[in-house]
Amino acid sequence: MNRTRTRRLRLFGFVAVVAIVLTVTWPGHRTAPAAGTTPREHLLLYCAAGIRDPIQSIIADYAKEYGVTVDVQYGGSGTLLSNLQVARRGDLYLAADAKHMEEASTRGLVHETIPLASQHLVLAVKRGNPAGVHTLTDLVRPGLRVAYANPEVAAAGKAIRAVLEKANLWEQAHAQAAVFKPTVNDVLNDVVLGAVDVGVVWDPLLAGQPLLEAVKLPELTARRDQIRLGLLDSSTHPTQALHFARFVSARDRGLTTFTRFGYQVESGDRWEDHPALTLYSGGVNRVAIQETLRDFERREGCTVRVNYNGCGILLSQMKALPDGDAFPDAYLACDVSFLDPIADRFGERTLLSQTEVIILVPSANPHGIKRLNDLAQPGLRVGLCNAEQSTLGALTQRILTKLDLVAAIEPNVRSRTPTGDLLVTQLDTGSLDAVVVYRANATAVLDRHTALGINLPEARAVQPYAVAKQAQHAQLANRLLAALDGVSSRKRYLAAGFTQPTP
Amino acid sequence: MLRISKLTVEAGTFSLRDINLHVPQGSYAILMGATGLGKTTLLEAICGLRRLTHGTIQLDGRAVEALPARERGIGYVPQDLALFTTMTVAENIGFALHIRHVPASEEQARVQELANLLGISQLLERMPAALSGGEKQRVALGRALAAKPRVLLLDEPFSALDDQTREDMYALMRAVRHATGATVLHVTHSRSEAQALGDHRLVLDQGRIVEQTPQVPATAPTSST
Amino acid sequence: MIPRWPNRDTWFLIALGGALGFYVLLILAMLVVDAAYTRFDVIWRAVHDPDILFAVKLSVFSCTISALLSVLVAVPIGYLMSRMRFPGRTLIDVCLDIPIVLPPLVIGLSLLILFQTSAGRALESWFQALTGSRITYEVPAVILAQFMVACAFAVRTMRATFDQTNPRAEQVALTLGCTRAQAFRLVALPEAWKGVITAGTLAWARALGEFGPILVFAGATRQRTEVLSTTVFLELSVGRLDTAVAVSLLMILIAVLVLVLVRRWGALGEGAR
Repeated sequence: MNRTRTRRLRLFGFVAVVAIVLTVTWPGHRTAPAAGTTPREHLLLYCAAGIRDPIQSIIADYAKEYGVTVDVQYGGSGTLLSNLQVARRGDLYLAADAKHMEEASTRGLVHETIPLASQHLVLAVKRGNPAGVHTLTDLVRPGLRVAYANPEVAAAGKAIRAVLEKANLWEQAHAQAAVFKPTVNDVLNDVVLGAVDVGVVWDPLLAGQPLLEAVKLPELTARRDQIRLGLLDSSTHPTQALHFARFVSARDRGLTTFTRFGYQVESGDRWEDHPALTLYSGGVNRVAIQETLRDFERREGCTVRVNYNGCGILLSQMKALPDGDAFPDAYLACDVSFLDPIADRFGERTLLSQTEVIILVPSANPHGIKRLNDLAQPGLRVGLCNAEQSTLGALTQRILTKLDLVAAIEPNVRSRTPTGDLLVTQLDTGSLDAVVVYRANATAVLDRHTALGINLPEARAVQPYAVAKQAQHAQLANRLLAALDGVSSRKRYLAAGFTQPTP
Repeated sequence: MLRISKLTVEAGTFSLRDINLHVPQGSYAILMGATGLGKTTLLEAICGLRRLTHGTIQLDGRAVEALPARERGIGYVPQDLALFTTMTVAENIGFALHIRHVPASEEQARVQELANLLGISQLLERMPAALSGGEKQRVALGRALAAKPRVLLLDEPFSALDDQTREDMYALMRAVRHATGATVLHVTHSRSEAQALGDHRLVLDQGRIVEQTPQVPATAPTSST
Repeated sequence: MIPRWPNRDTWFLIALGGALGFYVLLILAMLVVDAAYTRFDVIWRAVHDPDILFAVKLSVFSCTISALLSVLVAVPIGYLMSRMRFPGRTLIDVCLDIPIVLPPLVIGLSLLILFQTSAGRALESWFQALTGSRITYEVPAVILAQFMVACAFAVRTMRATFDQTNPRAEQVALTLGCTRAQAFRLVALPEAWKGVITAGTLAWARALGEFGPILVFAGATRQRTEVLSTTVFLELSVGRLDTAVAVSLLMILIAVLVLVLVRRWGALGEGAR
C-alpha cells in the first residue's frame, strides 16, 4: 500500500541520516602525530665502540620490525662527542658511561637521555691467565705489557684511570703502559693477538671470546658505569629518533638483547609503538602544563592521558584501583599533603613547582584589605575553599588556625567551594569582596584584581611529581618530568602563577 | 456452534464457576446479566485471552480451550472497540488477512466486500479518529468478520449509540447474520436489544448461567418482557 | 453569547499564563545573560579550536549511540513492565529507578570499580578482542556512562507510554491471528510511536548533559574522551569562564537543533497518517 511505502521511506531516511551522522563523527584512532613530514628511513647513531655487538643486533631487529635503517658511527665515547659537536648532524648518541653523557648534556648537545644498562671493567687475559695477573697492583708489575683504552677518548680509559688514581697507581701505570688504544675493542684485539698480556676492557666484551678469560677485581666490579642513550639536539626527526630510542630501551625489545650479550640492564618500559602514558594531575596544574604535555606527545610520538581533577577525588580514584594498566604512571599532585597518603605506591618525588596562597581582592579594594586580619571586618563577604575537598581549603584552614582567625572570619564566609577557580569566578561577578586562593588561580584576572601575599611559610602549596612503582612506562614518565622541568615549561609555569619550589 | 462445559475462571475480584452453555450453529444468542458480573470475563475466556482454571470450550465440535487465541477462529468486538488507531479503516478490516499473508488483491476484495455489506465503503481511507460512533462500530465489526470466524463475540456493542443509530445497527446485524451465517454471542443489558436480535437468551447471575431459553426472534412487538 | 470580560475564567487563564511566562522568561533570561557574558571572538575561537571541535563530534556521536541503545533497551522493558505481571515485579520496578535516584558520580565510580573486578576485566578483554578498543578511559566508557543514566529516563517514558495505550487493541490483534510478537510489532509499537520519539530525544538530551560519570569512568582527555559537558567543567575549573560559557551556548544550540529536527521528523509521521 502507498502508506506503508511512505512509512518505509521515512524510516529508511531516518536510518540513513543517523548512519551518516555516526560516520562523520566517528572518533577514529589518533595516528601518531608526525613530527616533520614523512618518516625518514635513516637515522644516524653515534655509538661507543664497545657496545657494537648488542647494538648491531638491535638495529637489525628494528629494521625488521619497522623498516627503518639506523646508520652507525662507532668510536670511543669521547671521540664521538667531539665528532658530533663538530658535525652538528645525527640523531642519537650512545655513550659507554654516564660521565660522557653528562658532558654532552652540559655542552647542550643532548636532550633526553635514557639509561640502558651498566657494565664494569675487567682484566682481559689469555685463557689460563699465563701472565698470572690477580690484583690491581699487578698492573704495574715491571715487564707486564698492559693495554688501556685512551682516557681522553674512551669511557673505559676514563674509568680505569679513575680507579688507578684512587689507588695512587695511575702515574706508574701511565708510564709503564704498553699502549693506549682509541677504543676498547682495539684493546681487546691486542690481547687476542698476543701483542699485550693484559687489556682493561668492559666485562660484556669477553662474552664471545673463547680464547680469553676475565679477571675480576673488587676495585673494578665495585664501580659500575651506566650506558646511556641520548637524543641529539641536532636531530631533524626527533620523534623518529625517540621511537628507536624507546625500542632500544624497551624491556621486551632492546634490553633483552643487552641481557643476552651479558650486560646488566636497567628496568625498561614495556615496548609500545605508540605508548599511552596515564598522568593524574591536580586541576590547578592544568593551565601551566597543558602546552608542555602537548609538545611532549608530539615529540615522543606518544599519548598522554591526563586526568585532571581535585586531588581529593584523584586520591580516592587511585585508592580504588589495583596496580595494573588503569593505575596512573605518574601523579602530579596539588600539594605534597595529597601525595603522602598514597606515597607507598609511588617512587621518589620531585618537587616541581609551588604556588602561593594569596588574598584576592578587586583592584579598587574599597574595604582597604591588606592582611588576613582584615577579613574579619564586619559585613565583609568572604570566600574560602572547602577544607576537606581541596588542598587549598586545607592550607587556608591551617593558616587561619595558626593566626587564630577561624572564629573571627567565620561569620563573613559567604561561600565555600571545592576549588579556587570557582571563588575567583564569584569574586569576578561581584558577589564576594575577598577570596583566599592560589596565585595560580588568579593569573587570568590580575588586570582587574589585586593579589595580596600572605607572609607565612604555610601559605604555599608545593606540587610534587612522582612515578608509580609499578608503572609500565616509568622511563617515559621520567622523561615527562624532565620536560616539565625544562626551560619552556618553566616559562609557562611562571606565566601561570607558579614559581620554583623554595627549600 | 459454541459449546461450553464446566468452565471455571478465577478473575481476582470474582470468579466464574461451572459455566455451561450451548449456542447452536448459526444462531444468535444474547447474554444478559447485571454489569460487573463477569460477562466480559467470559468472552475473554472464550477468546483465549484469559486462562481457564477448568472446563472445555468447543467450537464446531473442535476443542479449543488449549489453543492460543490466534488459532481459535473467533471474531471479537470488545466494548471499547479498540480499533487500531494508527491504521486506516481498510487496514483495520484487512488486518486478519494481512497477518495470514493473503495476497493484496484478495485482501482488498474481501475488505471491499465487507465494506459494502456494512455500508462504509466511502470511509476506507479514513483514520479511526475521524469516525463517528456508529461508523467505528461498523469498522470493528468488519475487522472481526474479515477472516470468516466461526463464532462472533460482541461485548455491549451498541450501548453508546443513540436510538436511531441503534435501530440501524439492528438491521445491519440481521443483514450480517444472513450474509455470513455466523454463530453470534452478543452481550447486552438492554432487553429491547435482546428482543430485537436474539433467538436465544442466556442470563449470567452470580457466576452461573441461570437461564437458557430459546426465544422467538422479535420481528413484531410481542407482549412478553 | 460571549461571556462578559473580565470574568472568573479570565483570572484562571492569567494564572496559567503567569506560570508559563515565569518559567520561560527564566530560561530565556539565562540564555541572554550567558550570551552577553561571553564575547563573539571567544565563541569564534572556541568553534575553531580543534579540541572543542573534537568534543562536539564526540558528543554528537556518543549521545546518538547512547540514545539509540537506550531506546532499544527501554522499549521492550517498558512493554514488559506495563503489560505483564510476574513475581518480583515491584522489586524490579524499584531497581529500574535506581540510576535516576543515584548521584551520577556514584554511577561513574561504580562502573570504574566494576571494570576492575576479574569479571569486569574479562569483559574488557573480550571487548578488546572484538573491537580493538578498551573500555575504561576510552570512548566506549563515555557511551556506557551516558547510557546508564539516559536509559533509565527512556524506560520511565516508555513505561508511561505503554500504560496509556489500550491493551485491548493488542488482545483483539491476538484473536485476529497475531502472535504476541506480531501484536507488539504491528499494534502496540505503532501506537506508542510518539512515546518512542520522546524517549529517544529525552535520552539524547540527558546523555548530552551528563558529565559526572563520564569524568570518573572515561576521564576527560582531550582528543580522546572529552565531550562538551566535560569541556565546560574543565574550562570552568581553570577559571576560563568566558570559554566555558561559549561552549555552553554551543551545547544549547546543538541540543535545540537536534530536538527540533527530531520532533519535525516525528510530526511528519503524524501528517502521513
